[in-house]
Amino acid sequence: MRSSLQAVALWGKKAPPHSITAIMITDDQQMIVTGSQEGQLCLWNLSSELKISAKELLFGHSASVTCLSRARDFSKQPFIVSAAENGEMCVWNVTNGQRVEKATLPYRHTAICYYHCSFRMTGEGWLLCCGEYQDVLIIDAKSLVIIHTFISSQSPDWINCMCIVHSMRIQEDSLLVVSVAGELKVWNLSSSINSIQEKQDVYEKESKFLNALNCRTIRFCTFTERLLLVVFSKCWKVYDYCDFSLLWTEVSGSGQFFAGGEVLAAHRIIIWTEDGHSYIYQLLNRWAQMAAYKTFSGLSKSIYPADGRVLKETIYPHLLCSISVQENKSLPLVMGYMNERKEPFYKVLFSGEVSGRITLWHIPDVPVSKFDGSPREIPITTTWTLQDNFDKHHTMSQSIIDHFSGFKDGADTAVVTSSEYVPSLDKLICGCEDGTIFITQALNAAKAGLLEGDSLLKGSLPHKVLKEGHHHSVTSLLYPHGLSSKLDQSWLVSGDQDSWVILWDIYTEEILHKFFLQAGPVTSLLMSPENFKLRSHQVICSVCGDHSVALLHLEGRRCLLSARKHLFPVRMIKWHPVENFLIVGCADDSVYIWEIETGTLERHETGERARIILNCCDDSQLLKPEFVLPVASEIHKHKSVEQRSSSSYQFGPVPCPGLQVESSCKVADAKFFSGPFNVLPVKTKWSNAGFHILLFDLENLVELLLPTPICDVDPSNSFYGSEILRRAKSTVEKKTLTLKRNKTACGPLSVEAEGKPVSESPAQGDNTIKLSEENDGIKRQKKIKSSKKMRPTQSRKFDANLTIDTAKLLLSCLLPWGVDKELDNLCIKHLNILKLQGPVSLGLASNEDHFSLMLPGWDLCNAEMNKDYSKANLFSRKVLDLSNKYTSTLPNQAGMSRELENISDSFQESNTIVYLLSKLFLVNKLVNMPLELACGIDSSFKMESVHNKMKNPGNDILNISSIYSHLRNGKSESHLPEADISLLKLISCWRDQSVQVTEAIQAVLLAEVQQHMKTLRKAPVNTEPVSVAENGVYEMIQILPKMGWAEEPELQCTADTLPLQTPVSLVKHDSNSNSANFQDTEDMPDRCVLEESESPGEQRHNLWISKVCSCKLC
Amino acid sequence: MATVMAATAAERAVLEEEFRWLLHDEVHAVLRQLQDILKEASLRFTLPGSGTEGSMKQENFILGSCGTDQVKGVLTLQGDALSQADVNLKMPRNNQLLHFAFREDKQWKLQQIQDARNHVSQAIYLLANRDESYQFRTGAEVLKLMDAVMLQLTRARNRLTTPATLTLSEIAASGLTRMFAPALPSDLLVNVYINLNKLCLTVYQLHALQPNSTKNFRPAGGAVLHSPGAMFEWGSQRLEVSHVHKVECVIPWLNDALVFFTVSLQLCQQLKDKISVFSSYWSYRPF
Repeated sequence: MRSSLQAVALWGKKAPPHSITAIMITDDQQMIVTGSQEGQLCLWNLSSELKISAKELLFGHSASVTCLSRARDFSKQPFIVSAAENGEMCVWNVTNGQRVEKATLPYRHTAICYYHCSFRMTGEGWLLCCGEYQDVLIIDAKSLVIIHTFISSQSPDWINCMCIVHSMRIQEDSLLVVSVAGELKVWNLSSSINSIQEKQDVYEKESKFLNALNCRTIRFCTFTERLLLVVFSKCWKVYDYCDFSLLWTEVSGSGQFFAGGEVLAAHRIIIWTEDGHSYIYQLLNRWAQMAAYKTFSGLSKSIYPADGRVLKETIYPHLLCSISVQENKSLPLVMGYMNERKEPFYKVLFSGEVSGRITLWHIPDVPVSKFDGSPREIPITTTWTLQDNFDKHHTMSQSIIDHFSGFKDGADTAVVTSSEYVPSLDKLICGCEDGTIFITQALNAAKAGLLEGDSLLKGSLPHKVLKEGHHHSVTSLLYPHGLSSKLDQSWLVSGDQDSWVILWDIYTEEILHKFFLQAGPVTSLLMSPENFKLRSHQVICSVCGDHSVALLHLEGRRCLLSARKHLFPVRMIKWHPVENFLIVGCADDSVYIWEIETGTLERHETGERARIILNCCDDSQLLKPEFVLPVASEIHKHKSVEQRSSSSYQFGPVPCPGLQVESSCKVADAKFFSGPFNVLPVKTKWSNAGFHILLFDLENLVELLLPTPICDVDPSNSFYGSEILRRAKSTVEKKTLTLKRNKTACGPLSVEAEGKPVSESPAQGDNTIKLSEENDGIKRQKKIKSSKKMRPTQSRKFDANLTIDTAKLLLSCLLPWGVDKELDNLCIKHLNILKLQGPVSLGLASNEDHFSLMLPGWDLCNAEMNKDYSKANLFSRKVLDLSNKYTSTLPNQAGMSRELENISDSFQESNTIVYLLSKLFLVNKLVNMPLELACGIDSSFKMESVHNKMKNPGNDILNISSIYSHLRNGKSESHLPEADISLLKLISCWRDQSVQVTEAIQAVLLAEVQQHMKTLRKAPVNTEPVSVAENGVYEMIQILPKMGWAEEPELQCTADTLPLQTPVSLVKHDSNSNSANFQDTEDMPDRCVLEESESPGEQRHNLWISKVCSCKLC
Repeated sequence: MATVMAATAAERAVLEEEFRWLLHDEVHAVLRQLQDILKEASLRFTLPGSGTEGSMKQENFILGSCGTDQVKGVLTLQGDALSQADVNLKMPRNNQLLHFAFREDKQWKLQQIQDARNHVSQAIYLLANRDESYQFRTGAEVLKLMDAVMLQLTRARNRLTTPATLTLSEIAASGLTRMFAPALPSDLLVNVYINLNKLCLTVYQLHALQPNSTKNFRPAGGAVLHSPGAMFEWGSQRLEVSHVHKVECVIPWLNDALVFFTVSLQLCQQLKDKISVFSSYWSYRPF
C-alpha cells in the first residue's frame, strides 16, 4: 500500500474474528492492546470510567501474535512491540496505529521485557526477549537488532518467563528468569550494561533448581523487596529473594492450571488460572503471628516449609477474594494485572478470551474477605467484544452488498463467502452463502453502502445475479481474464462447498459447464502462468478440501488431472513445463510430482530432497494458495513483473539503488493493476466471512482527472535539470545553494523512492556527484514509466464519469459532515457529493503490508468528542483547530474566486474536486515525508529568507506547475504569495507535532472547502464569461497553480504567450550530469536549443503533463 | 428446488448430530490418543530412570562410516547433552593416530535434541489443558488447537531433520572445539549434529592458504557438511578444508520419536479434515 492510498473499510455486520492471545494495558491506562491468533492487533479505548470500546485493528503480522510489551518509556513515546509466531517483530505507535519498525528474526519470542537505564544507556533501551531458544536475547528497542545475549553457564535451556527486579536496597537491577526445566537464573542487569555493549559474555550470577515444571510467571514483590512469587502450572511458590529459600508451596486443585499471578501489595498476591478464575491471597507471616498471638500457634494449616529451615519468615496464604469469568467458563484466556499506585489509576485485572472478549475487574485497594472469613467475590466491572462494537454502531458497519439482500427478502443479510474485484470492468463479484453470485458495479455498491439519500441507487442498482448454479456456499471465485488477457472476457469460474466448479458467461448469465470434482469444498482456484500452457491453452487449477488438486481445461470443458494422494494441505503448486509435471508442495514439507499427461504420481519426496525440488523451478509457480493478508498477496501478484524490471535497473552509484528502484517499481506496478479505485476483499483465518476495503489512489485520481493524456516524456523533470545546470554554470559561487534547490526540486520527486539522508556537504565534488545521482534517480524512474506502455491505455479504460464519481466518494468519506450544516448543504449542492450515512472506517497504511483500519465506533473513542456531532465524520477534535490554523494562513485568493465565476457549473464542480484532491495529495505527501527530506525542506526555508529574490524552492512541493510557468517566463521574482510558504511550513510543522495524516487531510479539506464555499456564498455563480485576456497572462499564471486544471482554451492562451521554450529531453541531461563535472555543462545551452527543435510541437500545450508527471513521480 | 431444500434440511439435522458427536466424543478420543503418543515420544527424550537431574542414563554410541576407518568416535549421550567423547583420527598422510576426548568437567548440549524435546513438551502442555472435562463449542476452536499443536510438532521434527547450516568460521568459533583435552590441534575442526535419526560427527582437516597464493579466496557459505576445498578466514589466517571425515551412528530412540511425530501429525491433520467436512455448518454460528 502506498502512502497516497486512502483506504475505507466496509466491515459488514459481523466483526472479524479476533482470538486474543496476548493482552496488555498501556501505562497511561487509556488503551488496551490485544494480539490475536489471526495475526492482527486490536487497540481498545479504555475510558476513565473503565468502559471499553474497540478503536482500530492493526494488520501486519502474518502469524499468531505471541506477546506484547511496551517498547519505550510510555510517557515519552507511546510505542509497543509485538512478536509473532513466525519471528516477526513490530513496533507500533498505539496513538495513531502506525508501524514504527519491523524485523523478522529467526527466533520465536514468548515474553518480552522492556529495560531502560537512563543514566547508563544511550539509545532507546533494550527489549529482553525469551522464547523457543536458549537463554535471553537483548534486542535494541529502536532498530530491533540483536545486540547480545545473556548466556547461562549451567544447563542452558529455553526460558519460560522472566521479570526485571529493580531493588532500591541493593542498587542493582537484576533479570530473573525461570527455564523450561525449572531452573531459576539471575543476571545482573545494570552493572553488565557496559560488558554487553562491548559484546563480552555475561553469565548468570546465580542459578537454582526449583523442582517444578511449566513455570508461568515470576514476580518480585516491590513492596517488601523480599518475596518472590513463582507460578507454575500445577503449583505456586513463594521464595525469599535474599537466599531463594522456599517459603510456601500451594498446589492447584484437580483439573486446574495456574496461568499467572502478580503481587498486589505487601504480602498480598493474586493468582489466576487458565480457565479464568483468580484468587487473592493474604500471605500471613506465621512467625510474627506466633510471636504475637501464641494461642493461635495451632492453626490448621501448620505445614512447615519442606526444607524445614530456620523460620526467618514463614508465611502461609489466606484466601481473601475470588474472581471468575462468569460465562463461557471453560474458554481459554490470557490475563494480566495492572498495578498502578498513582491516584487516578485503577488496579485492574483484565482478561482476553479466545472468543475475542475482554473482561475487566476493578480490584479494590484493600481487598477483604467476608465477615465470616469466607472469600468475597469481586464482580466483573466491564466486558466487551468486537462484535459489541459492531452491534452498537451498526450504521458504520455497512457491508458492500447489504442493499441487495435488502430488496431481495428484507430478512437476513446474505453472507458473502468469497469475492473478487475486476478492475478492468469495475465489477465486484460476490459469492454468497446460499450459492448465489452477485455481479455489480463496485463503485455504485460502495456508494450505496456508504452514502445517504442515494435511494436511487439502493433500489435499482444495476447488477446481475447468477442463481441456479450452486446450492451451497460459494467458496472461491476466479475471473480468468483478469490474470491473462488471452482468455475470454465473459468467463467466470466459481467453486462451491459441494465440490462443484462452474464456468459462467457473465454477460449472458449462462452456465457454460459444470465440473464435479467429488473432493470436498473447493478451497481455491488458481490460474496457470501465461507462459505455461497445456495444448496451447492455459489451465485452471483447483484445490479442494480433501487436499486434492484438479486441473481443469476450460476450452476443452474437461478435467485433465485429479491428484488425490496428498495427506496434508497444499501449500504450493508448481509447473514443470518441459517434462509436463505438476509439482505439489504440502504443509508437511513433502512434495508430490504428478505427470499431467498420464495422471500418475511420478514421485513422492520428503525432507531435504523435497525442498530442493521445490526450489529448482522457481518461476513456474502457480500461486501460493494460503496467504494471510490479501494486501500481501496483491504485492505477490506484482512480484514477477517487479523482479523483471528491477533486475535491469541495477546500476548507478547511488548507495542502495536496487532497493529504491524496486520500491518505485512496485509502486508503478501497483498502479498499473489497481487504477484509482480498487476493492480489496479481506478474509481472515478460520472464518469464511470477510469484509471489503475500498482503496482510493489519490495520486492516480488527480492524474486521471487532468484533461490531457499522459505522455511518456516528462518535461518538468528535464526542465529542472536544465534549470539547475544553467544556474550551476552562472553562479558558481552559489553552488551549494543551487544544489539545495536542486534537492528540493527533486524532493517531491523522490519522496517515495529515495529516502536517503541528504548531507549538506559544501564540497563541490560531493555536490556534483549528488546532482548526478538525483538525475539518475529521475532517469531511472522515467525509464520504468516509459516501459509501462500499457499504463495509459489502462487508465483510459477508466472512463471519466467513473473517475469523478470515485473522487466524489472519496471526498464524501473524508469530509467532516455535520460540523457546519450550511457547509454540508453547500457541498451537496455545489460539489454534487452526497452525505455519509455515518462515520466511515478509514485505514492508514504504514507501508506495503502494514496498515491499520478503524473499527465501527472509533469516533466515540475520543472521550473529549462532543455528542453534538452525532453524525459527524470528524476524525478528532484536533482537526478543527488545525483547520482554523490553516485557514488563517490561507491567502485570500481573489484570483481563484474570479476564476470560478468564469466557468460553467459542471466544469467548476469537477475542477473544484480536482483542486481539493490535489491539495489533499500534497498534504498527504508532506506529512508522510521521511524525516531527512523534511529537514532538507526546512533548511530550504531558511535559504529562502536569505535569497528571497530567487524563487522559492518550497513552492515546488506545493505546486510544481507554478514554478514551471515562472521559469518559462524567465521571471526570477516570486509571484507566489508568501502565504503558500507559510502553509507549507504549517503542514511540515504538523508532521513534527505528530499530527496524523488523516487528521491533516481532513483539516486541510475542511479549510479549503470552507474557503471555497465562502466565495460561493458571497457571489452566486455567474455563468457569463468574462474576458480572460484582460487579466493578463501573469495573472493567469498566478491562477494556474491554484486552479491548474483550467480548461484547454485558457491553457492554450497561456502557453502561447509564453516564450517558446520546450523542455529538454532528460536522457541528454543524464549523459551530461553523469559525467559529474560542471565544466561540461558549458555547452548546455546549445543542446537545449537542439532539442527544442526536435521536440514536437504538440508537447507545448501539454502544460499539464508537467503537473501530472511530476506528481506521479512524487 | 423445493425437494432439494427439504432433503438438505433432513440432511442438515443428521449432519449436525454427527458434528456434535465429533466435537464431544471423537475429538477427545483423538486428543487422548495424541497425548499417549506424545508422552511416549517425550519418554524417549528423557530416558527411563531419569526424572531428577543427576541420574540421567548414559548411552554410548560408536560412530563409524562404512567406507573408511580413518575416524572413529565414541560419544556418550546423557539426555540432550554429550557428556563424553573420544575421537580417534588416523592422519591420512603419515598414518599417525590422534586421540582426543572431552574434558571431564564439560558437557555439550545438543541443541537440536533439547529444542525437539521442548517442542514436544509444549505440545503435550497444550493438549493437557483440554482434558475430557473441556467442552469444545465450535470447530474453529479445535482447528486452532490442532494448528498450535501441529506447529510445535512440525518444529520438533524439523529440528531433527534439518541440522543447522553453519559456516566454517562459526564451527571454529563454537564452544565445541574448546571442549577437548588435549586441545584440538589448530588444523582440526569438529562438529556434532543430529540428522534425522543419526548422530553425526564431522572432522575437518585444514591447511592454511599462503597469503600470496594464486588461488582466489572465496569464503564458503553455510552448509551442513562442507566439502574439501571450502575456504574461510579465521583470525588473520585463511584456511582451506583439505579432508572431511564424517561418521555417524543411528540413535534408536530418535527414530522412534520421529515416527511418533509423523504419526501424531497425521492424526492432527485427520482430525482437522474431519472438522472441515462440517465447516459449512459451524462457521456461521456465533462463537
